Amino acid sequence: MDNELITAKDLIKKFGDLAAVDGISFTIEPGLCFGFLGPNGAGKTTTIRMMHCVSPVTSGTLTVFGHPANVDDRKIKAMTGVIPQDNYLDADLTVRENLLLFADVFNIKKAEADARIAELLKFVELEPKADRQINELSGGMKRRLSIAKALINQPRLIIADEPTTGLDPQARHMIWQRLRQVKRQGATMVLTTQYMEEAEQLCDRVAIMNEGKILKEGRPSDLIVELIGNEVVEIQIAAEEDKKILGHLAGIACEHERVGDMLFLYCRDGRSVMQKIMELQLPRVIHRPASLEDVFLKLTGRNLIE
Amino acid sequence: MNLSYRFYYIVKRNLWSYKRFVVPTVLVSLGEPLLYLIAMGLGLGAYMGLFGGKSYLSFLVPGMLITSVMLASAFECLYGTFVRMIHEKMFDEFLVTPVSAEDIVTGDIIWAVMRGMVSGLLMLMVSVLLGIHPASNWGYLMVVVLMAAVGFLFASLSMIVTSFAPNFDFFNYYTELFLTPMFFFAGVFFPLDKMPAAVKLITQLLPLTHAVKISRAIYNGTFEPFLLARFAALLIAGAVLYFFALYFMKRRLIK
Repeated sequence: MDNELITAKDLIKKFGDLAAVDGISFTIEPGLCFGFLGPNGAGKTTTIRMMHCVSPVTSGTLTVFGHPANVDDRKIKAMTGVIPQDNYLDADLTVRENLLLFADVFNIKKAEADARIAELLKFVELEPKADRQINELSGGMKRRLSIAKALINQPRLIIADEPTTGLDPQARHMIWQRLRQVKRQGATMVLTTQYMEEAEQLCDRVAIMNEGKILKEGRPSDLIVELIGNEVVEIQIAAEEDKKILGHLAGIACEHERVGDMLFLYCRDGRSVMQKIMELQLPRVIHRPASLEDVFLKLTGRNLIE
Repeated sequence: MNLSYRFYYIVKRNLWSYKRFVVPTVLVSLGEPLLYLIAMGLGLGAYMGLFGGKSYLSFLVPGMLITSVMLASAFECLYGTFVRMIHEKMFDEFLVTPVSAEDIVTGDIIWAVMRGMVSGLLMLMVSVLLGIHPASNWGYLMVVVLMAAVGFLFASLSMIVTSFAPNFDFFNYYTELFLTPMFFFAGVFFPLDKMPAAVKLITQLLPLTHAVKISRAIYNGTFEPFLLARFAALLIAGAVLYFFALYFMKRRLIK
C-alpha cells in the first residue's frame, strides 16, 4: 500500500466565480495529525468538506483511503469521523439517543453499540449526562459529545473543524487531551484551526492557507526556524527610533518588521541582539522564543481579514 | 440518484423525536377535523337537508378525510422539514455519515406520509363513530391506499417548496394561495357541478379534486373506470414531484 492516506493535486473548489480553494496540493500520511491553519475565509473548511465527501470537487484530484472523494462516497464516510464546527447534535434526543442513532447509522449491532457508548461516555466524561437533553449541556459538553459521536464508528480518519473555537480554557485543554489520546490509538487526524497554540499542541504537520491557497506546509518547528528564526525581540517604541535601534544592531544578522507601535526583530541568536538592545536602555522590551503565530502572521499579513 | 435503505434512519430519528410530541399532535390532528365536522356537518348540515339522498355529514367525511391527510403531510414537509434542516441542522448531521441527501429527503417525505396517515386514520375512526364509513370492508383498505398516495404527493410538493424557502414566511404563498383555497375548490364542501365552466376546468387540475372524487366513490360504493385514471394521475404526479423534490433539495444541501 502507498503511504498516503489523503492526496490532493491541483484541487479547486469554486462557488460561482469565487474560488474558495484555488489549486492546492498536499499529502497526508497515516497516523499523523495534519492541521489547516488560516484566517476566516481561507478555504480550510471547504477543503475538509471535500475530504469527507459532503462537497463536490470542482477540479483537480482528491483521494481519501485510495478512493476519489466524490460526494456520497459511502465507503469513505463509513471510515471517517467528523467533528463539525456547529456540533450537529440532535436537540430532540438525549445524549444517549444521539449516540444510539449514530451507532445504528453505522450498522453497529445493539449489544456492541451499548458497550461502545458506555466506553465513549466515560472517555468524554459525560456518563452522568447520558439521559439528559442536549439543551441542558454546556458548550464544552456539547463539543465532547460531538467527539464521542465522531468516534462511534471507530474511524481511521478523524476530521475536526475548529475543535475548540468558542470554548473556555478548561474545556479546550480537555478536548486537546482527548484528541491526542485518539491519535495515539492510531487514527489519522485532520483539523482546521485559527489558534496557533492548538496547532502546536496537536499537529505534526501544518499547512498555512490564505485566500484559497497553501502558502507554506511543513512541521511547525521547521516552519518557525525557516521563516522566523529561533527567537523574537519585541520592542514597543515609536517608529522614529527605528533608525537608531537598527543602526545600533549593525553587523548582527537580524530581520525586522514594524507594526504600529511595535518593532519586531526576528533572530537566529537572540542573546547577542539582547545584549545590544540592553545597552540602549529601552523601557518596553520582550525577548521570547519564536512561535507558529509569528510564522502565521508573517505569511498571512498582520492586517485584519474581514 | 443515490438512494438506499438508509432513509429508514431518518424515519426512525423522527419517530424518536416525535415521542415527545405525540400528545399535542394527536390532539391537534383529532381536534381540528372533528371541529370542522361538527361545525360544517352538524351545524351547516342541519340547514341543508339531504345531500344526494344522504346527510351533509356523509357528503363531507370522504373529502375531509383526504384533506386532513393533505394538510398534515404538507405541513410536515414545510415547517417540520424546515426546522430540521435549518434550525436543528439535522440534514448536515446525517450528511457526514453514509446516509445520502436522497436518503434524508426520502426519509423525511415518508415520515410526512406517516404523519398524514395518522391524521387520516384518526379522522376515519371519528367518522366511523359518527356512523359514516366506506361502502364495503374493502373500502377501508382502498381509503388507506388513497391516503398514502395523497400524502406522498403533497409531501413531495411541499418538499419542493421548502427547497426554495429562505424562511418561514415564504410558506405563506403556498399555503394561503394554493393549499387552503384548494380546500374550497376541490369539492370537499360542495359538488363542483354548478361552477362556471372555466372554474370547473381549473378544479380538474387540482390533485385534491381527484382524490376527493375517488374517496367519495369509495364511500358511496359507486365504481366507474375513470376513477382508475384519476388514481393513476395521482400516483404519476406524486412520482414526478418526488423526483423534483430530490433534485431541488440535493441542490440546496450539497454545495
